[in-house]
Amino acid sequence: MATSHSRHKWRVLFLIFPSLFWLIVFFLIPLLLVFAISFGQRGTYGGVEWDLTISNYFRFFDPRDPLYLRIFGRTLYIAFITTIVSLLIGYPMAFWIASRPPESRSSLLLLLMVPFWTNFLVRTYAWILILRDQGLINTIWTGTLHGWLISLSQVLPGLPLEGLIHLTTNPLPLFGTDLAIIIGLVYGWLPDMVLPCYAAIERFDFSLVEAAQDLYANRVQAFLRVILPLTLPGIVAGSILVFIPSLGAYITPDLLGGAKSVMIGNVIYSQFMSARDYPFGSAVSFVLMALMLVGTLLYFRLAVDSGKGESDGGQGI
Amino acid sequence: MDDGYAVELREVTKKFGEVQAVDNVSLQIHDGEFFSLLGPSGCGKTTTLRVIGGFEIPTKGDVLIEGEIQGYKPPFQRPVNTVFQNYALFPHMNVFQNVAFGLQMRKVPKAEIRERVNEALDQVQLLGMGKRKPNQLSGGQQQRIALARALINQPKVLLLDEPLGALDLKLRKAMQLELKALQERVGITFIYVTHDQEEALTMSDRIAVMNFGKVHQIGVPEEIYEKPTNRFVADFIGETNFMSGRISEINPEYVCVMVDETYPVSASPIDGVHVGDTITLAVRPEKLTVSSEKTREVNISGRVEEVIYIGTDIRYVVRVTDNIQLTIREQNSGGLAERRFQPGESVCVGWAKENASLLKE
Repeated sequence: MATSHSRHKWRVLFLIFPSLFWLIVFFLIPLLLVFAISFGQRGTYGGVEWDLTISNYFRFFDPRDPLYLRIFGRTLYIAFITTIVSLLIGYPMAFWIASRPPESRSSLLLLLMVPFWTNFLVRTYAWILILRDQGLINTIWTGTLHGWLISLSQVLPGLPLEGLIHLTTNPLPLFGTDLAIIIGLVYGWLPDMVLPCYAAIERFDFSLVEAAQDLYANRVQAFLRVILPLTLPGIVAGSILVFIPSLGAYITPDLLGGAKSVMIGNVIYSQFMSARDYPFGSAVSFVLMALMLVGTLLYFRLAVDSGKGESDGGQGI
Repeated sequence: MDDGYAVELREVTKKFGEVQAVDNVSLQIHDGEFFSLLGPSGCGKTTTLRVIGGFEIPTKGDVLIEGEIQGYKPPFQRPVNTVFQNYALFPHMNVFQNVAFGLQMRKVPKAEIRERVNEALDQVQLLGMGKRKPNQLSGGQQQRIALARALINQPKVLLLDEPLGALDLKLRKAMQLELKALQERVGITFIYVTHDQEEALTMSDRIAVMNFGKVHQIGVPEEIYEKPTNRFVADFIGETNFMSGRISEINPEYVCVMVDETYPVSASPIDGVHVGDTITLAVRPEKLTVSSEKTREVNISGRVEEVIYIGTDIRYVVRVTDNIQLTIREQNSGGLAERRFQPGESVCVGWAKENASLLKE
């Protein structure tokens, strides 16, 4: 008995060894390394001095100089808005795709994935061309639309176009703003919202909507009481998949954001690459990671609870 | 309310693209009636039900509920409720919440909801199951929940789409009787869709037999079974022997048909036939008898091909001509596996004149 049991144990170990090896060598060890470094000090020439101090964390949370906290707050805000906007665009999109005939669904999903075949950096550069002051939108705004308004005011002098003409004189402040970052992030992570939502909606049994409508629910009630709670797992998964990478975004704010629109990812980058302050960069990384972990757990708990609330409410209506 | 019908369909047609799912159907369903739509799958019976429920809007024609034209009214504005084929219970809600849903949507006070839900659960013998989730219940229980969820709203008409389709045979039989008893107790008009002829015959006050979107015959179960008006109805409901022939004589008492150009057979007359018409004669196997001599009103001779013992009955297959073969069901009322005739024997197959139906092609 004992031998067969231990043989079984060895077999399991053997089978999980490759993934275990991978996780330990490429994930756990580097993570512990970063964690250890976060308690060190920046050496005079950029190295790490092993001091065992928590001053890096203090620096981050310093209430007298809330520079990093402020960046952190804005990062949270941008990631949050990005998630909401992605959800508002992605969920209806997923719904629409799921309601197409089966044969056209897969091609629509493929279309959704096509941008992924191009490098993310290149796609983000494309957004610069669209959003900058001499970009696509502003060329139309200050050029085409402006000229059109002027000629219109000459043809019909009575129209109150002064304000609009004045407005179109200057380019819209798009590039280098939080808005640009949010546009870039939503663009980048939208498929991650659409796919889980699609999976949930596609599994959804639409005869339940008919049942709800049969039981006097109008379309809004049927959506809120039946479709939404049953597709919530997709929404939760999609939101996490968008929120987490948005929180750690680096390329998008670096390219589309201005000097004032720094996100925490840029801070980490600059600590490692420019300031060569590895310990502080590690500490910031760890704060970010802890926050992601706590946020994810909370969100899961919340979503699971609200799902349960629907069912465990018992006699409570 | 002027004409007193619970539901009336006036020349209703429903097309899906080129497909005519419901083809010019007119029906009148009385208040408190158990009315079945019976037909093979794809015959348009479910679409007809969905048109009444408001899930489909007819391409042509009108649906009237309680004398009121429904037009484009959505399901939630119609005084009907539906029991769906796969129950469509809300999986994220418990039994109580499922049953309470309709009342909640209509803003009934909470205390009243609680009372009525318990009443409804009691009615389907599931009191105390309120906190279970649908997936923790058996098929039969889920079926009852679906029923309670619809009935609690006290609809004028209850639409049932093959509600027993997913149950095993024994449970199905039990639920048939229960459902019928429930319908008589609550007095609500039931419109029941099924492809199971036995189910329809057992439960219904009247049956509409459908095929290819058309209603072929409407009548009480006895009428549908005993006097089918066309070949499809005769064939779909129960087992039938068909004999085709030409009418050779018509008089007030009977019609004489030359079966297979050789055998003169008489049957009760029907309207709209003429001498020389080709016609089909239908007789149920249990109406036929086998004997060695001509003993019945109508007799035809043949040779026994097969004798099959099936427990309650003995089934004889008798070859009359190359084209005609009759199946006879004889009740096994005699002794142990009594087989009165053997294959190869010459016999006389007989029946009463009124048991043969004449079917125009």
